Amino acid sequence: MGERLPLRSRPTPTVHSRSSGDQLKSPPFAYVAPTSVEEALTLLAEHGDEAKLLAGGQSLVPLLALRLASPSALIDLSGVPELDYVRRENDHIAIGAMTRERAVERSEVVREFVPLLSVAMPLIGHLAIRNRGTVGGSAAHADPSAEIPAVAIACDAEVVVRSSARGERTITSDDFFQGFFSTALEPDEALIELRFPVVGPGTGVAFEEATRRHGDFAMVGAAAAVRTEGAHIVEARIVVIGVSDKPVRRREAEQALAGAEPTRAAFEEAAALAADSLTPPSDLHGTSTYRRHLVRVLVRRALESAVQHSQEGG
Amino acid sequence: MSQQVAQRYVGSPIKRSEDPRILMGAGTYVDDVKLPGMVHAAFLRSPFAHATIASIDTSLARKAEGVLLVYTGEELEALLTPGPYGLGLIMSMEKPVFSCLATDKVRLVGDLVAIVVAESRYLAEDATELIDVEYDELPPVATVEQAFDPSNPPIFEDLGSNILVQSEPHAFGDVEGAFSRADHVLRVTISQHRHQNVPMETRGCVASYDPATEHLLMWSANQGVHIHRTTISGRLGMDPEKVRIRTADVGGSFGLKLGGSREDVAVAAASRALGLPVKYIEDRYENLTASGQAREESFDVEAAYTDDGDILGLKVKMVMDAGAYPGLAGALPSMIESMLPSAYKIAALEFQSTVIVTNKATYVAYRGPWAAETFVRERVIDLVAHELGREPFDIRMQNVVTRGEEPTVMITGRSLVGVTVRESLERLGELVDLPGFRLEQEAARAEGRYLGIGMASYIEAAPGPKMPGMPLGREEMRMELAEDGKLIVFTGQMPHGQSHETTIAQVAADEFGVAFEDVQVVFGDSDIVPPGFTGGSRSATMAGGAAIMTARALRAKVLETSSHLLEANVADLRIENGAVSVVGVPASAMTLADVASAVRQPGRLPEGVDGELKVENAYDGGSGGWSGGTHCAIVEVDCETGLVHIERYVVTEDCGKLINPAVVDGQVRGGVAQGIGAVLLERSAYDDRGNYLTATFMDYLMPTTMDIPNIEISHLETVPLDPDVNFRGIGEGGMIVAPPTICNAIEDALAPFGVRIYQQHLPPAKLLELIGVIEPE
Ligand SMILES: Cc1cc2nc3c(=O)[nH]c(=O)nc-3n(C[C@H](O)[C@H](O)[C@H](O)COP(=O)(O)OP(=O)(O)OC[C@H]3O[C@@H](n4cnc5c(N)ncnc54)[C@H](O)[C@@H]3O)c2cc1C
Repeated sequence: MGERLPLRSRPTPTVHSRSSGDQLKSPPFAYVAPTSVEEALTLLAEHGDEAKLLAGGQSLVPLLALRLASPSALIDLSGVPELDYVRRENDHIAIGAMTRERAVERSEVVREFVPLLSVAMPLIGHLAIRNRGTVGGSAAHADPSAEIPAVAIACDAEVVVRSSARGERTITSDDFFQGFFSTALEPDEALIELRFPVVGPGTGVAFEEATRRHGDFAMVGAAAAVRTEGAHIVEARIVVIGVSDKPVRRREAEQALAGAEPTRAAFEEAAALAADSLTPPSDLHGTSTYRRHLVRVLVRRALESAVQHSQEGG
Repeated sequence: MSQQVAQRYVGSPIKRSEDPRILMGAGTYVDDVKLPGMVHAAFLRSPFAHATIASIDTSLARKAEGVLLVYTGEELEALLTPGPYGLGLIMSMEKPVFSCLATDKVRLVGDLVAIVVAESRYLAEDATELIDVEYDELPPVATVEQAFDPSNPPIFEDLGSNILVQSEPHAFGDVEGAFSRADHVLRVTISQHRHQNVPMETRGCVASYDPATEHLLMWSANQGVHIHRTTISGRLGMDPEKVRIRTADVGGSFGLKLGGSREDVAVAAASRALGLPVKYIEDRYENLTASGQAREESFDVEAAYTDDGDILGLKVKMVMDAGAYPGLAGALPSMIESMLPSAYKIAALEFQSTVIVTNKATYVAYRGPWAAETFVRERVIDLVAHELGREPFDIRMQNVVTRGEEPTVMITGRSLVGVTVRESLERLGELVDLPGFRLEQEAARAEGRYLGIGMASYIEAAPGPKMPGMPLGREEMRMELAEDGKLIVFTGQMPHGQSHETTIAQVAADEFGVAFEDVQVVFGDSDIVPPGFTGGSRSATMAGGAAIMTARALRAKVLETSSHLLEANVADLRIENGAVSVVGVPASAMTLADVASAVRQPGRLPEGVDGELKVENAYDGGSGGWSGGTHCAIVEVDCETGLVHIERYVVTEDCGKLINPAVVDGQVRGGVAQGIGAVLLERSAYDDRGNYLTATFMDYLMPTTMDIPNIEISHLETVPLDPDVNFRGIGEGGMIVAPPTICNAIEDALAPFGVRIYQQHLPPAKLLELIGVIEPE
């Protein structure tokens, strides 16, 4: 996130963060529109950390308008077609950074091989937002309540990034997402691709959220992927959002389910473990206690519907 | 002379004349006004709730790129005449007196500190950041406790404290008798939370001063051009005749845009100083933070009732938070007091009120500004029903007045003539199968699903019953027959979503005898329209009545004139389908266009006959009357997440004779949506230091179409009170009664947990706290 405006009044610790910015028009910036990744990376290297890549603009433009970010230049990736793709490569599905969220939502390949991503997409904002918003933008923005980072962590996806100076590197999702709006991206690096492993047979998925209104960011969300064999759970993956500075994997809960029978009691126990030890933030939309409670409810519901989904054939 | 007129348009859901241009993006909102040479204003606003301005340095901003003008509060004040702003004008409030921009100190987050005018809005905003202000913080007054604490400094020195008005208890009826006869007394504190208007179009204006003629033309979004002109000319010290306010399309207001704002005056003064047109469009941050908010009241209520469920009397103490720069709030307690008994046989009331000022946004009018009385009363009725283990519907039926029976007047003195709340309850009983629902509810509970039903009733002064010594006002109108035979209607109404271009044309077309398409309604120009404003559910009766009376007068004049042209007796003439003819002699017909052009030709009329086909008329509201009705919601509460789903929403209402049922339904639905928003989503939140916490739509949650259920509406037969005019307003009812309806339904759903609801705002975490699923923090 961009630096906050210096307050020109005598600062006091009690001033609400937005009270200083009474404008909704962005500060000045230069605009450049490269047509290739190479050109974009060169521009990024030239401008250094004063520049920002512009993808769908659904997060960046509001930040500019609120003057919470004030980059000197925007490097618009909309004219870089080589970053817009969904394709199967060996044992993973590769999704280019500039692929629109709506395209992922409609992709048959994603539905078949990364079903958790498929069910998560409709939960992102509204259709108009998904028509503009991109996979790379969402991952790079790293909102702790966003769905795409949660799915990436749940699936052990890899993130491919590149700079003109040092070339390409591949980062695990666990390492890529570092905290509140922060990632492993260096200022001169662009996110190029997300790689989601193809899921095995018998895996059921679900993404459950509590939102105050249709289309809002979730107060809390729970993603579950459960692989069953016969009457038993072989493997479960659980990630929750809205409770910490990044999506959190609930490994204890996952372990409690491995080998268990998919009963309501087992789900409730796992949900309690998932909620345990979390200290979610409080805000206007819900207290910390409320969010912890929601984790329990939503993890249980996600497990129930994931198992149902897996029994229906995944 | 009351003559039967064939009704072709009134009562029909005719398509709105406004819609083609609005839906095709061709409307003219203030921001669409672009004048040659126009420059742009931005305001520097306060980051503090309460602070003195120790120093302010604008030198850098003045030198910034594209900047034409910077005024501090003191600099601007030297160019103005002190006096009221906004609603303060109508309220003829004497104290507190305040300046246009802050001079000595700031009184809320978002208070106006300086105005910058530059070649673009971007440059103006960039320059505001270069203004260096040193503030010395004062203790903020953001809560009722802080306002009552005498150790806190008064926000407005001339008030001497932070109490704006405090009344003695007023007693109506035999209060002590009622309480001593009662079997039970319910004692509760019920509150409404602060929320706000949030029109889709924010406030804004374009002021254009012409130094050559010394005239000011101002385009603005408002609810009445003349009220606006009074503020602008008054504060600028200009002859009102030299100020012209124009308004075209307005994207909603709900009470917010009544009277010229402090921003409007600053922009007008800047235009006068520069001799250039200056535009200011409030952005959403400014709109949410500082344009105005509404509805922050708390009520200590005692309700006396019997074992049988008769509600005998109420004792109520109200505290209202008027925010800073008060305008309307001081006038509301007496409205709330007088409306509290509503359509119920409540024979005793004691009411005491205190209005405080705080370091928050101004308490402004918001759709049904006195609605707190409905919330309190309709909650109390349900609470009493629960205490007695009775069906709230039955308690309402038992206590509601019956037409033609005593009491016919509220204990506070307001006539109940024509009130049909009882009938609306009966109709609701037909539309909603209450016993059937109770069975369904029980079955659902057995599965762990929590359904609830809630109802609430209201009446709305639209414009209110005629009573001795309480005139309903005077609605002026002017009509003329244009040379092409079209009927031109000039109204002081300032439509901002009420569809007056359609509804006034419907009424006038029927009464005058022309096609709907041949009526043009002119509004929004202080140089040409009569005085007036739109607000308070008044226009159906007042403007509808004025349209009938004025069209009738013009028709008489046209017939009189035509009698000379047709050489026939006036009594034998009529206007039908846009032509004047002798009854029974169709061949004699002269089109209105022919008449209008004939009277303009010399020699066609005898000497001394007035050929000007123009009339001015006014309407006094006739017998006036109430609108009213009952709403019902069926909800399901997810007791694991606290989220509420509205399964069904039914409205039975009576607004007299419908001019346009589609318009009425639209008004009802919009109001209900705002009421649902108030309970489930919307809250203007401050921390206890007066920092405003909901300054974007990420935090201030408006309901969207996805959150609003289908709303079923049933209109009741009206009770005609007046020989001519029985249209009654409907603008506010939905918003007035939806909040208690939803709260009552939620409380019913949560009955198994013994939940009682005393606060209007019920976000999901709050509901789980009430149920006891989670601990409050
Ligand atoms: C009303 C609304 C509701 C929303 N609701 C949700 C929701 O429920 N869930 C959700 O997940 N999201 C939601 N979003 C956000 C939406 O998904 C965004 O589109 C997304 O978070 C950012 O994607 P973008 O393409 O718009 O990125 P931008 O806004 O263009 O960029 C975001 C950030 O990523 C950086 N960036 C972009 N691309 C790259 C790249 N290739 N390499 C490096 N850095 C890059 C930018 O510099 C910027 O810092 C909502 C947005 C809105 C406006």
